[in-house]
Amino acid sequence: MSRNVVDTARKLLLLGQCVPTVKQNATKIKVKRLELDENLLMYFKKDEFYYCHDPDKTCKIGDIVLIKALPQKLTKLITHEVTEVVYPFGDITDPITGKKVAKERYREDIEREIELYGKLQSTFDYNKAPPRGWQEGKKDFTSKPTYTKYHVFDENDPYSI
Amino acid sequence: MLRSVASSMIQCRGIKHQVKIKWVRPDHVPSYKPEKSGDLEAIPQYSPDTLGNDYALCKEIEDAPESVKKLFSVSHLGRPEYNKLVKKELMARVKRHKYDENTAESKIARITGHIRCLQSTMENEPRNIRVKQVVQELIDKRKQLLKFLRQYDYKKFEWLLEKLNVEYKGQPESHNKLSRRESLRKLTEMHCEEIRNKKLNDYRNLLESQQGPFLEEKLKALKFIKSEQIELQIPVTVTDQDIRKVEKQLEEWKIKDEIKLQSKKKARNILFENVET
Repeated sequence: MSRNVVDTARKLLLLGQCVPTVKQNATKIKVKRLELDENLLMYFKKDEFYYCHDPDKTCKIGDIVLIKALPQKLTKLITHEVTEVVYPFGDITDPITGKKVAKERYREDIEREIELYGKLQSTFDYNKAPPRGWQEGKKDFTSKPTYTKYHVFDENDPYSI
Repeated sequence: MLRSVASSMIQCRGIKHQVKIKWVRPDHVPSYKPEKSGDLEAIPQYSPDTLGNDYALCKEIEDAPESVKKLFSVSHLGRPEYNKLVKKELMARVKRHKYDENTAESKIARITGHIRCLQSTMENEPRNIRVKQVVQELIDKRKQLLKFLRQYDYKKFEWLLEKLNVEYKGQPESHNKLSRRESLRKLTEMHCEEIRNKKLNDYRNLLESQQGPFLEEKLKALKFIKSEQIELQIPVTVTDQDIRKVEKQLEEWKIKDEIKLQSKKKARNILFENVET
């Protein structure tokens, strides 16, 4: 009985985080779950991974997204689709006030503080900053999984460590 | 004689290779090196006459004689004073305001300056274990700070990477030790994948080359059926739409075929040129 409930619940909606993957046509979503150990009567964390269909590439690595099971499997691997990006990674908005937040402080407050001290030209400006992704593949190598180097190829792969 | 016979009888150790793959073991790179730590820029060079960090602010030094200026220059004050200048320059790139010392970006900039100074020290004295430890700790610290900054402010993180010329790579899922067996297995897998893709591509090309003649035949047959049906006054089953559809498909195929032929010619020309040179 309980297994059926879990299976149906899985098919509704799931909240997960986008993680880097080698597959080009699919996005990999990590869903955090807890598993009961019946001997110890304790819950242990266990991650489930789903490959999702996302043709428009709406979600980027690290985003928290809602996923839903497809009525039919698209491929052997792809079983779900991304319905909505709930929290974009590294660009947090306070849900109550609707203001942008950096760590535990509002960005407004930080900017006000900088102005009081005397703003320098080297300060980072949020308004002029390009959207996320302009350093991808140049200096920011987080969009694909990294691995230990195992062979000397002709071309050096930046994702090898 | 006996020895050679014995060696041929005894089974060889290791994996027998049926596929010709040559594995080249990647060289070990110490983790303090810039290519491992992700520093794309070397330590900035200052002329030996540059004044020390605090002494440059002094008014008296402007009118002082050359010998005094030399006393307070970087070459005379030594390495620590030089390193201070490096850190100051890197922090000046990202500072929010004059008194900014403890925000994430200025911390990362200061650590980066320190790392680059120590890396140049390590190049001169590679056996200095104390410095090696300190560099490793600093690199780890910077990576952690960058990781946190990425989590709460992605735009600033990217801007900082650009400003400080630092690379950031994600954490690998598992740290497996480099081994011959595993590497060979991966290379063999890649080889198999290549063969599979090549065969699939060849088969696809063969089928696509047969598409054109078939479509031409189909078009002829459809037209013939239609004319016969009209002649014999039987209800016409072939519509104009069907014929137009086939014509369109044929045109598309012809365009694709031309592109393919041209690319083949180009590849052939490149091959010939290589052979001639």
